[in-house]
Amino acid sequence: MAEEQKFSETSVQLTEAAPQTVGSGFTAPGNIYSAILSRNEAVKDARRLKDFQELRDKYVRKKVLFEDPLFPAQDSSLFYSEKFPLKLEWKRPMEICKNPQFILGGANRTDICQGDLGDCWLLAAIACLTLNDVILKRVVPHDQSFTENYAGIFHFQFWRYGEWVDVVIDDRLPTYKNKLVFTRSGQNNEFWSALMEKAYAKLHGSYEALKGGNSLEAMEDFTGGVTEFYEITEAPKELYNIMRKALKRGSLMGCAIDTLVPTAQRTKTASGLVRGHAYSVTGVEQGKRKDGKDLMIRLVRVRDPWGVAPPPACKSNDWVELAKTEQDKQRLQPGEQGEFWMCFEEFQKNFTKLEICNLTPDTLEDDQMFKWNVTVHEGRWVKGCSAGGCRNFPDTYWTNPQFRLVLLEADAKEKTCTVVVALMQKGRRVERCSGATLHNIGFAIYEVPKEMKGNQQQQLSKDFFLYNASTARSKSYVNIREVTERFCLKPGEYVIIPSTFDPHKESEFLLRVFSENRSTSKVIDAEIEAEPMQVDNVKKKIKPFEEEETEEEKQFRAIFQQIAGDDMEINANELRTVLNRVVAKHKELKTEGFSLESCRSMIALLDTDGTGHLNLQEFKHLWNKIKQWKLVFTRFDTDKSSTISSFEMRNALTEAGFQLNNQLYDIICMRYANEHMELDFDSYISCLVRLEGMFRAFRAFDKDGDGLIKLNVFEWLQLTMYA
Amino acid sequence: MFMTKIIKGLVDVVSNIDQFVPSDPPPPKRPLAYASHNETDEERQFRKVFQQLAGDDMEVSPKELMTILNKIISKHGDLKTDGFSIESCRSMVAVMDSDSTGKLGFEEFNYLWNNIKRWQAIYKKYDADQSGVIGSDELPGAFKAAGFPLNDQLFQLIVRRYSDEMGNMDFDNYIGCLVRLDAMCRAFKTLDKDNNGTIKVDIQEWLQLTMYS
Repeated sequence: MAEEQKFSETSVQLTEAAPQTVGSGFTAPGNIYSAILSRNEAVKDARRLKDFQELRDKYVRKKVLFEDPLFPAQDSSLFYSEKFPLKLEWKRPMEICKNPQFILGGANRTDICQGDLGDCWLLAAIACLTLNDVILKRVVPHDQSFTENYAGIFHFQFWRYGEWVDVVIDDRLPTYKNKLVFTRSGQNNEFWSALMEKAYAKLHGSYEALKGGNSLEAMEDFTGGVTEFYEITEAPKELYNIMRKALKRGSLMGCAIDTLVPTAQRTKTASGLVRGHAYSVTGVEQGKRKDGKDLMIRLVRVRDPWGVAPPPACKSNDWVELAKTEQDKQRLQPGEQGEFWMCFEEFQKNFTKLEICNLTPDTLEDDQMFKWNVTVHEGRWVKGCSAGGCRNFPDTYWTNPQFRLVLLEADAKEKTCTVVVALMQKGRRVERCSGATLHNIGFAIYEVPKEMKGNQQQQLSKDFFLYNASTARSKSYVNIREVTERFCLKPGEYVIIPSTFDPHKESEFLLRVFSENRSTSKVIDAEIEAEPMQVDNVKKKIKPFEEEETEEEKQFRAIFQQIAGDDMEINANELRTVLNRVVAKHKELKTEGFSLESCRSMIALLDTDGTGHLNLQEFKHLWNKIKQWKLVFTRFDTDKSSTISSFEMRNALTEAGFQLNNQLYDIICMRYANEHMELDFDSYISCLVRLEGMFRAFRAFDKDGDGLIKLNVFEWLQLTMYA
Repeated sequence: MFMTKIIKGLVDVVSNIDQFVPSDPPPPKRPLAYASHNETDEERQFRKVFQQLAGDDMEVSPKELMTILNKIISKHGDLKTDGFSIESCRSMVAVMDSDSTGKLGFEEFNYLWNNIKRWQAIYKKYDADQSGVIGSDELPGAFKAAGFPLNDQLFQLIVRRYSDEMGNMDFDNYIGCLVRLDAMCRAFKTLDKDNNGTIKVDIQEWLQLTMYS
């Protein structure tokens, strides 16, 4: 009683900001949109993020128990759509039992007992995690405790879309009648698994966000690896070889037997194995019998994480036959309780599911001889620009992001290269509370035509996809977080096209390519360029029509004077009048009319003498540009709707002399297209005038041509406000 | 020509970002459930209005923003304006969009809205002659009160860009200008990582910032 009262006295409600290492505000440091996103990041020193160490030391010093304002001990951290029937209390382990421990006797599978949250998929993955000490200690730093340096604060690390994220939590856990409601350990005073579940819940926004899932998803979050799933009855012939290579590269493998009938009680097969139970594969071995017969022995070593002795019917002692030396015998001997060898044929006959988690080089020990070669790409499907949908939508499929893959070497003793491609959609679980669901995603691989080989920056065009079939592709479009597929491809150049099934579905994604041997993989993107003024060409064009041009010039000057009045300068209102008069004459140019705002912007962008008006030369330049750009517009208005589809904007800009990269095409479509993903004529012209103006401004300031401009705040504001 | 002229004038300019007071950056997104437990009654009412305006996707598009703003200013007869244009609203959405979706979420919209209310109060206060517009002589005071003490050269550029032929700035141009100015000051502060008053940008960063704004 006195002890309990003492702790409640020190539980002070704090308002200080905690580190924002997770949540929807989290952005990877190398995010491809950093220039935009950084515009709204916190910049004040007072808001600098604190890391776990700093926070813990601070609270230890202050002798105050940490309370996490980002994941408070309230209902909002538990559920977003349902109400739990019981009234829960948040308690620290100190308040639940007398002698709480973080980890008791080493972390093992019995530390994970499921509670009332439907997250068995997560717990199965945590159980697998305990089988690999190196990986476990990364996710669950072991130097935490309830005695030394205790301040009610703990941290765990998860892999999040290409980055390892440190998740800091306080140790208040949901309880009912002094017992943990969710995950608990088999030993009542051990808490690492319950705390880890809380950290994972925080990562996803709430405990409810963890309901229902696939253990493959969690395995990836714990390892950063790529998982493959096989139904063993449908698995490829070379399954054994795949398993052997996987283990050689340090992959984790789990296997299971489907339950025949949904039941809470685990049943056994005729052979004595447990259905619905997660086994691990810890080794494969093959060789000839000692007596020299031709028969090949292929064995799989399986471990029951419950540590139960294997049923005799499945067990094979043939591993003794493969042990040619005493050293071999030591290596092959089943290592601990629950581990046993099976014939591969018996394994195939009994088990129905196999999961392989291929680890990335950074997860493996340095002395690991074989590793996957991995490249990681971040990308985005942007509505109206690069969310092209699958091949059923030929008008837009080609606009999906494209990634070039070059396979340089065949696998040892083979003519093909093994490649595992994994496409993951980001952030959908976090956004579940606002109704987001997973998109149906998939990808296809095309061989690069001969004429395009070596040119890494050229996109495959619409025409290409109309006439060429894919070399390989994911089996189907599925609404899961990640689609993974293994292929054997000949050395050569390919393009990977990730997409959603339907067009216009927006999401960020991660594309990872694993290969056994050397390969290169990169996003297909262009350098940013704009054609310089072609003075020579202009002269050449003018020369043959010199007399006619002069006459036209006279007429132009007369028109200009009529519009501009005596001051020979055009203001925004006058420009709007002229432009709207022009578009009125051309019925094919549908528009609601140029707005005064657009015209003011155009004048600012073209004004070279700082008057705020356009003089004859400036207006003439704009006029000629509009005529050029109008021709491009008409050409790309393929359905004669008087608008350009935003998907065609890439081609239109290229035709107009601008070469941008994928991100810039994305943001231009977001900025200038309407809700129907179309650009009308005035938006199109506004965009091009601004683009030209900004290229011109950059060149003016980049005097030494090194591709960087240096600006103080007043230069910055003059360029960005008068635009 | 234009650049040369500007560069000449800059010789006398002292570079000091600290005198600007842009708004704090928008708060991070929080789960819906979090907000419903922690917001005030006024905030809850505002959220309901937002849900009504934004529709099912809970995001405000430029067109929706234009509708909202023009509906509101039509109730204030003392604010002279010919209405917010779609181009102006697209620009505001772009500079306020902190997660690059092309639309404004609740926090972004709330943040923008609070700024507009604050700047509207300044607008009325500094419209000394009750004309319904801000004249060029009233502009420096208004902008200083809003946290942007610009120099004469910048004021000249802003008058050319956002005011009419008589030098008068009406309400929609005033708001459009301040939203942009606020965003550009925040962008500069963010890019000036070592806080020495100078930023370096490459062509991609430059175009990202200037095209999506």
